[in-house]
Amino acid sequence: MIDPARPVLDIRAVCKTYPGGVEAVRRVSLQVARGELLALAGESGCGKTTVLKMINRLEDASGGSIFYEGEDIAGRDPVALRREIGWVMQGDGLFPHLTVRENVAIIPRLLGWTAGEISNRVIEMLELVQLPVNAYGDRYPAELSGGQRQRVGFARALAGRPDLLLMDEPFSALDPITRDSLQQEFRSLQAELGFSAVMVTHDMAEALIMADRIAVMADGEIVQHGTPSDLLANPASDYVSGLLETPRRQMRAIRELGA
Amino acid sequence: MSANFAERLAELPQYLSAHVVLSMCALLAGIVLSIPLGIQAARRPRLAAATLNAASVIQTIPGLALLALMVPLLGGRIGFLPAFIALMLYSVLPILRNTIVGLQGIEPQIREAARGIGLTDRQRLWQIELPLALPVIVAGLRTATVWVVGAATLATPVGATSLGNYIFAGLQTRNWLSVLFGCVFAAGLAIVLDQAIRLLEIAARDRRRGLAIGVGVFLAVLVAASIAPRFMTPGQAGAVAAGESPGAAQGIAGQTVTIGSKAFTEQYILGALMQRRLEEAGARVVRRDNLGSTIAFDALRSGEIDVYIDYTGTIWATVMNRSEPAGRYRMFTEMSAWLWAEHGILTLGRLGFENAYGFAVSREFAEAQGVDSLEDLSAIAAELTVGGDPEVFARSEWTATRDVYGLGPARTRSMDNTFLYSAARDGQVDVITAYTTDGRIAAFDLTVLDDPRGVLPPYDAVILVSPQAARRPGLAAVLGPLVGAIDDDAMREANRRVDLDGDTPAGAAAWLGERIAEQ
Ligand SMILES: Nc1ncnc2c1ncn2[C@@H]1O[C@H](COP(=O)(O)OP(=O)(O)OP(=O)(O)O)[C@@H](O)[C@H]1O
Ligand SMILES: [Mg+2]
Repeated sequence: MIDPARPVLDIRAVCKTYPGGVEAVRRVSLQVARGELLALAGESGCGKTTVLKMINRLEDASGGSIFYEGEDIAGRDPVALRREIGWVMQGDGLFPHLTVRENVAIIPRLLGWTAGEISNRVIEMLELVQLPVNAYGDRYPAELSGGQRQRVGFARALAGRPDLLLMDEPFSALDPITRDSLQQEFRSLQAELGFSAVMVTHDMAEALIMADRIAVMADGEIVQHGTPSDLLANPASDYVSGLLETPRRQMRAIRELGA
Repeated sequence: MSANFAERLAELPQYLSAHVVLSMCALLAGIVLSIPLGIQAARRPRLAAATLNAASVIQTIPGLALLALMVPLLGGRIGFLPAFIALMLYSVLPILRNTIVGLQGIEPQIREAARGIGLTDRQRLWQIELPLALPVIVAGLRTATVWVVGAATLATPVGATSLGNYIFAGLQTRNWLSVLFGCVFAAGLAIVLDQAIRLLEIAARDRRRGLAIGVGVFLAVLVAASIAPRFMTPGQAGAVAAGESPGAAQGIAGQTVTIGSKAFTEQYILGALMQRRLEEAGARVVRRDNLGSTIAFDALRSGEIDVYIDYTGTIWATVMNRSEPAGRYRMFTEMSAWLWAEHGILTLGRLGFENAYGFAVSREFAEAQGVDSLEDLSAIAAELTVGGDPEVFARSEWTATRDVYGLGPARTRSMDNTFLYSAARDGQVDVITAYTTDGRIAAFDLTVLDDPRGVLPPYDAVILVSPQAARRPGLAAVLGPLVGAIDDDAMREANRRVDLDGDTPAGAAAWLGERIAEQ
């Protein structure tokens, strides 16, 4: 039934006005192709998280529509939808009273898998994120480092075999070295499992390094949309150039040091 | 001493099991009420504020007052029900507050993660929020447990049996071992239940099924052992109705009669005396001891008890709300007519003695100050300290005496009746309000001051019979011979035997019964 050519996610002119009257998102349209990583970048408060939350109906859109695997999500049961879509949040969001094993098992359990399937999947996922179940399975989140917790967060989100993974600043709470290695690991994980992903980020360098395409938002609207090289070659506005300036300056500085 | 110990030990199964059942029922109902309410309130700030305020107000009502208030609120019902409701209300605040605080304290991020990965509302509550809030909720539950087990000792005056029976009876008869029994077992029970809950929490947190089962079995055995005796004694509820059937009108044999008594020695003795007579006539007797003063009357009116002893002056002032003085005979006849017309309560007659309020001083004080009547006090009123039981200073006996004899400048001190007489003997207070039949007046060498202006009302002891029991002629036939049979001296001597010789109320009642028979 899945048509590989059809976008996994098709967002058409969605708007969101919060009850207080804040227009957080205005007519945003986006598509995510199969296996692709789309980054949503932009300054604080521009509406990135709101877009992400509308995709799994943590917030309902005030206008426009969103299609997931060709189906309008407005007609879907939010709980079932969320179980099909992976969700990773800043600072892991692990359940502190559950062990690593139980955290990873939670979605397969909700999906009604058998005990054998669940336990195999947990072992497989923890191997993938390099936290062998023997050493880590019975620990509680408080007994892990920040990077390890974030890895468990990925394992939990991917355990139910989602086609789409939504991530809200997944690396922002990590130190630079851990962040770098996790970013690399994430890309190889995605290559291996083939899921699509939308990642919200503050950090333009991260978007440039990881994403297939980047959508830059300002004040609830998409101001530019393209591949990392498109953006670097033709920034559409001073706002976008400004966002690119930080990674550029860092690159220049490092190159000069090497020279 | 060791006989006393054996007697107290014999009472333990009854008091402890009643205490366990009462406090566990109240706690269970408190949990069933508070946790769902707390879950609702945690999501609705306004509901949270409203329920917490209501629960805090209940909490500020002193335990004894809350228990006593339940009796009139339930139309004069005494016993388990009012105590259960009051204690349940008492347990609400800590459980409710901690449920709300525990749930609200969960990080918003964790809530959002649970929603974002696709847990339903119910799954979030049971799998994430309640387990995370559990330590806080359990802390509230433990607080409630300690409070309720402690407050259940105050259930005695509303007619519910508990370990408080040891304490109230012990205080009244100066049986300190009895008081100690009540305190030690109540504290022990609180500690045991508190630790059981703590272990259950550990079992839930570490998922130790064996531990959970162990504690569960222990609690189940405790409750089962406490409830079991109730099912082994035949019910009493049907007996009252049976007594009303025409066939049973001949005699009292085989019927159940519930005798009430207030919380002081004389009342225990008279209760035991009536019990002896009724049992000799073949009736089955249920005792409701240690009832609060007005609670006893309410219980009689509603038929919760069949018979008890009250005093004319008490009924006159606190039930009929009459403030004007009246002579002994007029008060008795008006009271009897009023009780019958208003409530259908039968006044069987006067026992013959009077237990009035009087004002007593030590002999040393009387001689040093040269006083032998209330009139002599007005000159030295400014230097006087008057001790009284907690209710007397609010009653017309004191206000009228104070106004007529010019005692306004005197200082007043409230204390339990138990300590009044020794306080006067030891000179800690100068004047006390005393019950004129109390055995300690003679034993401590106290003098009751004359009342030349006749301010103090008469307090003739009377047998009062409930409207239902009034229709059972057998009861009047058995208790009728007590009318006019006990004079002041006999009552004072019986009281003295208990208060000073350490005799039991039943023993003193046996002595009194023999004395009546000899007359
Ligand atoms: N629940 C809400 N109710 C009302 N306004 C909200 C709510 N959530 C977000 N907003 C507002 O909507 C706008 C967009 O918020 P959003 O969280 O989407 O921004 P963001 O781009 O993710 O910012 P950041 O990078 O700081 O996380 C902001 O002005 C914010 O104050
Ligand atoms: Mg955000």
